[in-house]
Amino acid sequence: MNTPRKGSLLVQDARTKRRNAAEARFKAYGLTAIAVGVLALIVLVTSILGNGLSAFRQTEIMLTVELPESKLDKSGTRDLDVMKKVTTLTYGPILAKGLKDVIAANGIEIEGLTAKDVDAMISKEASAQLRDRVLADPSLVGQTVEITVLASGRIDGYYKGRVSLASAELDSNVTPAQLRLADALKDKGILVTKLNPAFITAPDASDQRPEAAGLGVAILGSAYMMIVVLVLALPIGVAASIYLEEFAPKNRWTDLIEVNISNLAAVPSIVFGILGLAIFINFGGLRASAPIVGGLVLTLMTLPTIIISTRAALKSVPPSIRDAALGVGASKMQAVFHHVLPLAAPGILTGAIIGLAQALGETAPLLLIGMVAFVREYPAAYSAADGLFGEPSTALPVQVFNWTQRADPAFFERASGAIIVLLVFLLIMNAVAIILRRRFERRW
Amino acid sequence: MDDMRYLEIDVTAQTNKMTARGVDVFYGDTHAIKAVDVDILDKTVTAFIGPSGCGKSTFLRCLNRMNDTIDICRVKGTILLDGEDIYDPKVDSVQLRAKVGMVFQKPNPFPKSIYDNVAYGPKIHGLTRNKAELDEVVETSLRRAAIWDEVKDRLQSPGTGLSGGQQQRLCIARAIATSPEVLLMDEPCSALDPIATAQVEELIDELRSQFSVVIVTHSMQQAARVSQRTAFFHLGNLVEYGETGQIFTAPKDPRTESYITGRIG
Ligand SMILES: Nc1ncnc2c1ncn2[C@@H]1O[C@H](COP(=O)(O)OP(=O)(O)OP(=O)(O)O)[C@@H](O)[C@H]1O
Ligand SMILES: [Mg+2]
Repeated sequence: MNTPRKGSLLVQDARTKRRNAAEARFKAYGLTAIAVGVLALIVLVTSILGNGLSAFRQTEIMLTVELPESKLDKSGTRDLDVMKKVTTLTYGPILAKGLKDVIAANGIEIEGLTAKDVDAMISKEASAQLRDRVLADPSLVGQTVEITVLASGRIDGYYKGRVSLASAELDSNVTPAQLRLADALKDKGILVTKLNPAFITAPDASDQRPEAAGLGVAILGSAYMMIVVLVLALPIGVAASIYLEEFAPKNRWTDLIEVNISNLAAVPSIVFGILGLAIFINFGGLRASAPIVGGLVLTLMTLPTIIISTRAALKSVPPSIRDAALGVGASKMQAVFHHVLPLAAPGILTGAIIGLAQALGETAPLLLIGMVAFVREYPAAYSAADGLFGEPSTALPVQVFNWTQRADPAFFERASGAIIVLLVFLLIMNAVAIILRRRFERRW
Repeated sequence: MDDMRYLEIDVTAQTNKMTARGVDVFYGDTHAIKAVDVDILDKTVTAFIGPSGCGKSTFLRCLNRMNDTIDICRVKGTILLDGEDIYDPKVDSVQLRAKVGMVFQKPNPFPKSIYDNVAYGPKIHGLTRNKAELDEVVETSLRRAAIWDEVKDRLQSPGTGLSGGQQQRLCIARAIATSPEVLLMDEPCSALDPIATAQVEELIDELRSQFSVVIVTHSMQQAARVSQRTAFFHLGNLVEYGETGQIFTAPKDPRTESYITGRIG
């Protein structure tokens, strides 16, 4: 028998001291780890916000232009089919004249600038903007209208700190004189930098016109893919997990399936891309770059995640609840649907949303199935024969990848802006997950 | 001793409700129940006693096929309910459990309201036609389980928010709400205070007029008080089975005697 230890409670013995020191050390490790994590997060967020927030603002020029009937609608019938034959090449000079007029009207000196240089300050996209506006409302022809058009990417960059007078000296795309003219226009309130909703709504634009590039098609493509994933992966995943967890006999076959599901969850996502290419496009004959294919591939990728988390949620429901239900004569299915599933719902939802968030940010498999396609226009309203999900599209993370590949630094700003949009979507999804969990969580 | 007051009741004339013959239960390689023969009489309280781990719960769970839910559990032998083999492949265990209700060793109310706990059985079996009837069933069940007065003002609050003893009585109410023919109770009073225990014992005695009750208990006094027949299990064997008075006053097997006098257990 040990003899009881004697000693004052007020004095710590060596053993207690060692134990307390170990505990203090452990807490310090934890704090350090958290501090490093938070620091990394802060650096990441500030750098992304610093680079990307400016993408939500755009420099624009306000012009007053005459729309001569002689050029835009020679027939005078305002027939859209006829008017569509007039290309942006005709609209360009109209804008150039508008800019010249406004400069003259405000008495601004143009020193050392050719008419072409002045013209180049307007985005190449602007003539298309004007044409779209006229085609939308043919009665404008013959009138004088006010229109706000995009300034070129370099001028825009000047007001976002990307371009300076010094860098303009070395740049073949912009001259310091143009920047000085822009400053003069800004003083008169003709050139303004303001909020840019087109970044969210517009489709992508070509290499020469970063100022017009937007995320519209990418957001739509991502949204369609998420719908496909949600509609397919959640029911299939939950049904599979319920079967495996509650009904399937425990034998070698179910063990095998279980091992395979765990392995699938660890398979690199690009492998799913190859699978999708082989099955859905080459074999299934679906169209490359279509959201339906992307959605199917992401569904395959998300299923294991959902199955694993759903099974974990079902496992965490105490067996005594099942016994209780069976004990009063409920069938197995009643026990599962009346008692087990409601208790597992918060866990299932969390798993599903984590899976979705993972799918939303996935790039590699989408590259393989051609979602990297450059989509210059909104797909024929997603209404054509290919169906809602069949038109070529792109996706948010792919758009980020795509933009970072381009030469013009303005696209880098766009890419950072797209990352912000992606992060906002992820935040929203997580918030929804938390809200749903709160609602479903039993308060006892 | 006053505790023995039920012993005079004549049980010989009663019919068999359940009959077990040569029942063996295995958990994997563990032989938990060995060749047990028991007759559960109609309108009788049968007590299962025996040291911890001797297989009382296991055998009880055979009687309503709750063992089906344990993958590694195998049951051999025949168990008849009203002459029908409950392990017949044609028997739907769900129907069986509606007739043979169960109160578990650990209280396990649903994480729902008190009302829903009790109403669940009648609802899924379609025992009531309308809300008023359901309300009545819930009330009588809670009253009979001696918990009505404590919960009548908070029927909508969660059943899991009750104390352990209250939860157990709620589980009893839930089990009797479906009006089973046989009620299996696995140590229903282990979490109850003496007053609630007395109430539950009263309930058991009352239930006897309609159902057969099988109760597992570690309390000799309780077995003596509430049961007419007692079965003593030891290491998976049914050592002795007979009228409660005889088991407690004149046990035939030396193991029974050592157990009830407190020498094994
Ligand atoms: N689910 C199970 N899996 C494996 N073995 C089990 C299982 N349940 C019970 N056993 C074993 O079966 C034997 C009988 O257990 P049982 O629960 O029936 O005992 P008991 O008489 O009810 O004991 P107590 O009085 O402590 O409740 C024990 O040896 C136990 O280890
Ligand atoms: Mg037990």
